[in-house]
Amino acid sequence: MFRSRSWFGGGWGRPKNLHSLEHLKYLYNVLSRNQTVSEHNRSLLVESLRSIAEILIWGDQNDSSVFDFFLEKNMLSFFLRIMRQRSGGSSFVCVQLLQTLNILFENIRNETSLYYLLSNNHVNSIIVHKFDFSDEEVMAYYISFLKTLSLKLNAHTIHFFYNEHTNDFPLYTEAIKFFNHPESMVRIAVRTLTLNVYKVEDTSMLAFIRDRTAAPYFSNIVWFIGKHIQELDTCVRNDADHQSQNRLSDLVAEHLDHLHYLNDILCLNITDLNHVLTDHLLHKLLIPLYIYSLSSNRRRMSNNDLVAQSLSKVSLTPKTSQNSSPKMHDVTNGKVSCVVALFLLSQVFLILSHSPLVQTLAWIILKTDKTVFENGVDKLHDFFEYEKQRERQSSEEEASGSVSSEKDKDSSCSKENLLYEQANINITDEEKQRLVDPMEGMGSVKNHPFLETVYEALDCTENDYAALFGLSLLYAMSSNRGVTSDITEQVLRPKKSFISKSSTTSKDVKYTYNTFLVEKMLQIIIFSCQPSCRVRLVTLELALKLFIQLTVCDGKTVLSESHRHTIETARVQSMALLRNFYKSEEIFLDMFEHEYCDMLKGSLNVEWLCMDSAILLPPTGTPMTGIDFTKRLPCGEVERARRAIRVYFLVRNLVLTLNGEVETQLPLTNPQSCVQIDQALDLNNSDLIACTVVYKDGTKMRRFLVIDILQLILVEPDTKRLGWGVSKLVGFLQDIEVAGDKDDSRCLHITIHRPISGASTNRVPLLNAKFVFDDNIRCMAAKQRLTKGRIKARQKKMQHIARLLEIPGQSGPPSPAFAGQGGPYTRSSVRPTRVENRALFNINRGPGFAAPRRDSSPGVIHRADESIRRHRDGESPSRGANLKIENGRRDARSRDNSSSRVRSREGSPRMPRPRSEEIPLELIKKAPHSIIDMAPKITIIPRPQTPRVISSETEPSTSNEHPKEVIKTEISVSEETSFIAEENGEDDENL
Amino acid sequence: MVEPIFDYQFRLILIGDSTVGKSSLLKYFTDGKFAEVSDPTVGVDFFARLIEVKDGTRIKLQLWDTAGQERFRSITKSYYRNSVGALLVYDICNRTSFDNIPLWMSEAKRHIEPHRPVFCLVGCKLDLVNNGGKREVSKEEAKAFADQHSLFHVETSAKNGLNVEEAFRCVTQEVFNRIQSGEYKVEDGWDGIKTGFSRPSGLNFNLVEAEPAKLSCC
Ligand SMILES: Nc1nc2c(ncn2[C@@H]2O[C@H](COP(=O)(O)OP(=O)(O)OP(=O)(O)O)[C@@H](O)[C@H]2O)c(=O)[nH]1
Ligand SMILES: [Mg+2]
Repeated sequence: MFRSRSWFGGGWGRPKNLHSLEHLKYLYNVLSRNQTVSEHNRSLLVESLRSIAEILIWGDQNDSSVFDFFLEKNMLSFFLRIMRQRSGGSSFVCVQLLQTLNILFENIRNETSLYYLLSNNHVNSIIVHKFDFSDEEVMAYYISFLKTLSLKLNAHTIHFFYNEHTNDFPLYTEAIKFFNHPESMVRIAVRTLTLNVYKVEDTSMLAFIRDRTAAPYFSNIVWFIGKHIQELDTCVRNDADHQSQNRLSDLVAEHLDHLHYLNDILCLNITDLNHVLTDHLLHKLLIPLYIYSLSSNRRRMSNNDLVAQSLSKVSLTPKTSQNSSPKMHDVTNGKVSCVVALFLLSQVFLILSHSPLVQTLAWIILKTDKTVFENGVDKLHDFFEYEKQRERQSSEEEASGSVSSEKDKDSSCSKENLLYEQANINITDEEKQRLVDPMEGMGSVKNHPFLETVYEALDCTENDYAALFGLSLLYAMSSNRGVTSDITEQVLRPKKSFISKSSTTSKDVKYTYNTFLVEKMLQIIIFSCQPSCRVRLVTLELALKLFIQLTVCDGKTVLSESHRHTIETARVQSMALLRNFYKSEEIFLDMFEHEYCDMLKGSLNVEWLCMDSAILLPPTGTPMTGIDFTKRLPCGEVERARRAIRVYFLVRNLVLTLNGEVETQLPLTNPQSCVQIDQALDLNNSDLIACTVVYKDGTKMRRFLVIDILQLILVEPDTKRLGWGVSKLVGFLQDIEVAGDKDDSRCLHITIHRPISGASTNRVPLLNAKFVFDDNIRCMAAKQRLTKGRIKARQKKMQHIARLLEIPGQSGPPSPAFAGQGGPYTRSSVRPTRVENRALFNINRGPGFAAPRRDSSPGVIHRADESIRRHRDGESPSRGANLKIENGRRDARSRDNSSSRVRSREGSPRMPRPRSEEIPLELIKKAPHSIIDMAPKITIIPRPQTPRVISSETEPSTSNEHPKEVIKTEISVSEETSFIAEENGEDDENL
Repeated sequence: MVEPIFDYQFRLILIGDSTVGKSSLLKYFTDGKFAEVSDPTVGVDFFARLIEVKDGTRIKLQLWDTAGQERFRSITKSYYRNSVGALLVYDICNRTSFDNIPLWMSEAKRHIEPHRPVFCLVGCKLDLVNNGGKREVSKEEAKAFADQHSLFHVETSAKNGLNVEEAFRCVTQEVFNRIQSGEYKVEDGWDGIKTGFSRPSGLNFNLVEAEPAKLSCC
């Protein structure tokens, strides 16, 4: 704010205390000795002026004698005298002067001081002073001075600025001269100032604004907006290659600024002003340029085009700016491309809600028919007025009981009024008739040229470039607060009518909706579910949002059977689409969960969408443009999978919404069924492995390791109850990485990554520590259990996905096989993938991925014990406290023996068979509604354990040989079948 | 530059309808000049002058000129509070301006509260009457009104300076008398009366003077 000129320039006789009356007196002397500005004294003057502001503000709060001195010496007159001098580099001094005044007005709190400064037109003479505005700095300080003054405006102070006798309002009239200044900071200041002015409740001032300035000011604004969007249009036309994204985004931001400014004015609700502004906007911008650009489609009759062109030309040239405007018409004939027009109109409907304006616009777009259209732009609005008039009349007639013979079906039905249901029967039937027949529907569309263009835009056969804007416009119109339901009903919202059966007096509620548009939506939805289609996710999501608005009324879906059927088809197709990507790779599961979290972050915000200039350019597939994934086409196999996942979720969501159901199957991990930190767990009878966790910083902690179905839990014995433990750390098994230690066979390095969640982007692992076990046997046991736990956790989720996707082989052993990633043995033991396996993703493919699973390979079966019981259930430990933890240890030890044997086979080309099956994975009793069926209570019957290693590879992975009833059992068996069991004998102890 | 030495500073306010001659009165009082053309005051204006009361005590007068126009009424209100005296100004040749005096007075009383200001009813443009203009407010009527409300009354002319000094002097003297009598005292946070500075002995004298008054109130 302050120029960095030295405070301490020295000087004789200067008082030490800078904030004092004495110092002000000193500065007064300086000013009175230097009344003429020259090269020699200007720095001194600048510094004095700055100091004066400082002292006055200090005095304002601390010492009234300071301002008294300023008054008595009439120091303000010195300021004015300095300002009026043209000599000696005055702009240098003027900048400081403006800055000083700005600081003064901004900070003076004392009312009487402020009013004194504002009195006697001193400020007005500063405002009208001809500063050198070519000096950027002068301009900047001048405009911020004006803005500061505008902040002081209220019903009292307005009289200092607006003189009703002379009809003079320099603050306002001088400021609006800069409304289109190239510097955006200046433009913003002008806008703030005008809003501050309009806010002042002073009738005569507002009358002045309306009568003397509104028309020229608003028509100038409107003209400049028009010019602006021409530039925007040119930018879009000439930039198919996404080369000038920055420029485009500036232009879009500018348009948004304009709209927000206009909305700010309209929201002040100053009737007269709004009237003038609405008028200008409609007749000089929105109708001739925005709406008429919708008529520029190829099939339009040429004479219409001419009418539109000539009209928009006329209206777009404000009288005041004729000289500077002709260029734009030469270039573009006063029209913008349909895509740009749809985009801009969407913005209009998303931002402006002034009813007289949006209502008219919506009416014109939705209801204008050909005959009116051919009469030209002025007639358009007249016709709207006429319609309104007629509507009013006819409802009056209705009220008086006479049924109008030429009743218009769109305008006359009083939906709520049951008295006149007789009149409504005909209308409803008529309407129904019309709507039942889609061709007729189309016929009526044909009569609405603007609506037809919007509908045509929805066609996604080639791409969804225009469709996105068509959708956003329709959505924006239907959700605009200022557009009343009588306009959107039937077109954008279901229409509700009451029918009385002729025989009885009972009434039925009849819902009708825009069949034609709903079918358009269904087309987009079905299209999106096809492989390699060109519909972006954002388009689909928007179509779904609009679909809901079109068909949900009073909280229920009013969809016809055949349309419901189409939705079902879409659901099946979205599943089929995703099935193509259902893969054994870990990345699929990760992606699936990630996309779900991403979806949960919130549904599409259409207003934000329409702020993004990137969508104005033709859809692209390359992520290198920096365009959001949902706003472009997928690139490569992984993104196609991502897209398929999203499409599946979106369609699934739609089906749920339409059926009024809530999601019960997703997310894959039900947070309710997970163990939380500090939860007390009954560990009697569960397997525990004692260990010391050594963190990177050297801290050590003694813990017991428990492996649940989905989670790894580190517990500390509960001091209050024997056999119970308190969870101190939980992590998902699917996110762990385990590695042995090459120097210490008792050690494992465990990393638990954070789960993919929508909420956090924290990629720092949850835990990254060394686990030291009592001996290498326990260490091996732990490693096996973790490795296996990870695989199993992932398998369970994959099976769940398979069930969701209704993958046929589901009831049999699940098709994809997993191998743990990262562990040294799994890596060394990768086998050739099966022929049946689908193509793998091209990226992220590497050793360790997708080890095949043999569907019938022997698993060692364990009893799924409910050894851990939740404290949460509220039950007190019923069993006598015993040494369960000790037992756990013993168990672990006994199994560790087998682990060590496995270890000794490391490096064998055969799949090692870690005897994890001997270390039963603890199954924690889950709530019955657990999302993933953990089959905790099923006692699994051992199957013949024939090691069919090679031959099994030819067996189809998705075989469907098992009857449904045994699904659970099969799953449980297969969980244990990644490794081949050899030592059958040892398995028995787990049964 | 030497600051004028004074013992007290009083703040006075001039109120009355537009065009009655407030600004002209002040201009003559502070500058000794008269201007035929005087623009209506926009908001407020400020003047200052040193004056001596009978015992030779030097008083600095801070004078707030206010706009008589209705549209500035809410602005000028803020200036009452810190005033110890008010000049109720009317135009001898303008009946309405006199009729509005009670309104101005009650407005001033209301805003100066809890302080009781010294009022002086000032009739302006006396020279016009002497030059054949039509008097609309008789001297007797104004005097009667002034007596009824215990106000001073003077008829002045800013054009020839008649009684201008007198109008301010009577208010100043009365304020000073009320200080002497202990009715008025210097108060923190009120700028109606302030003690002066610059004369060492006077400063002491003033402090001694002011002390008893303060004590009596507590
Ligand atoms: N002849 C004559 N004219 C006077 C006298 N005093 C004021 N005027 C004239 O009356 C007109 C108004 O005087 P101002 O002093 O501006 O009146 P005001 O009371 O300050 O008016 P506001 O500022 O609007 O409240 C001016 O044209 C003065 O020249 C006077 O004593 N004699
Ligand atoms: Mg005046």
